[in-house]
Amino acid sequence: MQGTDTRFSLPTSSIKLLLPKLLVAVSVAILCAQAAYAVPSYSRQTGLSCASCHYAPPELNAFGRKFKLEGYTFATKPEVSDDKKGHNAALHLLEVFPLSVIFDTSFTSTKAPQPATQNGNFQFPQDASLFLAGAWGEHVGSFLQVTYDSQADHFTWDNTDIRYANTNGKFLDKSLTYGVTLNNNPTVEDLWNSTPAWGFPFVSSNVAPGPSAGAIINGTLAQDVAGVGGYAMWNDHLYLAGTIYRSEHIGGSQPNPGTGFGFNIRGLAPYWRLAWQTSSENNNLEIGTYGMHMKSSPGAITGLEDGYTDWAVDFQLDHTIPQWKNDVVSIRGTYIRENSSLRASFGGGAAAVVGHHLNTAQANVEYHFGTRVSATAGYFDVTGTADPLLFASAPVSGSANGSPQSNGYLLNLSWWPQQNIDLAFQYTGYLRFNGAGTNYDGAGRAANGNNSVYLLARFVF
Amino acid sequence: MKRTLRGFALILLGAICSHLLMAETDAASLFKSKCVMCHGEDGSGNTPSGKVLKAKDLRSEETQKKSDAEITEVITKGRNKMPAFAQKLKPEQIQQLVAYVRQLPKK
Repeated sequence: MQGTDTRFSLPTSSIKLLLPKLLVAVSVAILCAQAAYAVPSYSRQTGLSCASCHYAPPELNAFGRKFKLEGYTFATKPEVSDDKKGHNAALHLLEVFPLSVIFDTSFTSTKAPQPATQNGNFQFPQDASLFLAGAWGEHVGSFLQVTYDSQADHFTWDNTDIRYANTNGKFLDKSLTYGVTLNNNPTVEDLWNSTPAWGFPFVSSNVAPGPSAGAIINGTLAQDVAGVGGYAMWNDHLYLAGTIYRSEHIGGSQPNPGTGFGFNIRGLAPYWRLAWQTSSENNNLEIGTYGMHMKSSPGAITGLEDGYTDWAVDFQLDHTIPQWKNDVVSIRGTYIRENSSLRASFGGGAAAVVGHHLNTAQANVEYHFGTRVSATAGYFDVTGTADPLLFASAPVSGSANGSPQSNGYLLNLSWWPQQNIDLAFQYTGYLRFNGAGTNYDGAGRAANGNNSVYLLARFVF
Repeated sequence: MKRTLRGFALILLGAICSHLLMAETDAASLFKSKCVMCHGEDGSGNTPSGKVLKAKDLRSEETQKKSDAEITEVITKGRNKMPAFAQKLKPEQIQQLVAYVRQLPKK
């Protein structure tokens, strides 16, 4: 359960002082982790338009999923190559260096200003990303992102998925594509848009307040871990993946002393994924399950451990409507159940009880008007164990009653004047925020005070 | 943990070795690396990605009644959502693919 940076070695008073700031930081981290992209260097490599792989970026269609599954290596453009002969190795280098850029500029306004701050916030840029995304060789490719964050005023390592893929496998006389992935975010290797790393919302403000509770698999560990894993797709139907993670704190000292970081994986944290997909002429359906187990010591690498286990299910249906110019309706959903045993946090005075659970449900439906406009409506609901220490009272980011309960809705309208320009309008509405609808933080703020309007202009080239 | 890491290293090594041992020089492997993604192993286009991009059934009469020159042109220059392979494949490789497409209805 996210929401704490329980510095086990610190006094309880220090923990309580740090907690509100950390809650905000984690909330921002979730929002940033959910920002997801489509990359033009793949287009330059394949000679295909963005719409060949995406219903609307970053949502993958079946071809896009196949491209990712096969290691981002499919290419039709020139390369520097040398055939494998005898004991000499082959060479396959793209002539065009696979570099791409995303530039985001945005405006955010919340219904009620955050105390002592100016409402109506322009960010120019909100962030800008550089991507090394394309084939590194015949069977190795990458999605590798470095992002400039205007609030932190520095570049930082962002989502990364480097993979080796082999498409020549056979199992029970059916096709088998398998590979190895090196990545830094659980679910970033996934092929669908129903799991956290690539899930809705696809764009979001990093200024508006967000709920403080979130499951560890739901963005909490994004870019704070390093993992190696394997995956396989059998007969175009059955997808199986597994990755083991260790903490890898960007900007932290190495070897990791654990100090100052809320989550320090003890041993290995396994992630698993099982999905089944089927398709007909106008439908693509996926149902699946995924999860993760982690033991972690907050602020330390020894001593007591917090244990987390996430179990999740998800589905995605993409339905093409031939009568309506092949418009596509996408319906997606996921449910995450997290059980946690916070012995270390309890011992350090940052949790009032040891046993916790957190339920996260998200669903959304999206209509794609060709590749020009997409309209999405989503609902989210978080419930769980109340804990006045873990979810402490604090203006805006805290909870007066210690409850992690939040729910609300998201509306997004994206207009794509070109396939590489996204002009988005997004409205987020809260019915409950950190445990209540009114005076949720003990400082008189209402949940709907965090309702936000977000405008984004994204340029991708 | 050391045992687990050793296990993963062995799996990684095994995957790389199995790949290196495979020879990929004939038309079948060329078809597999460039065409199967959409058209499927049997050329039917009956794959999830083939359905999205409306890939042609290469075994169909419509395709097979085209001349070799016409099929060569489609592979070379692309058509509709199919990309052009002129910059990626050598002329002799494209001819290998044309011959392979001709064999598909018999498989």
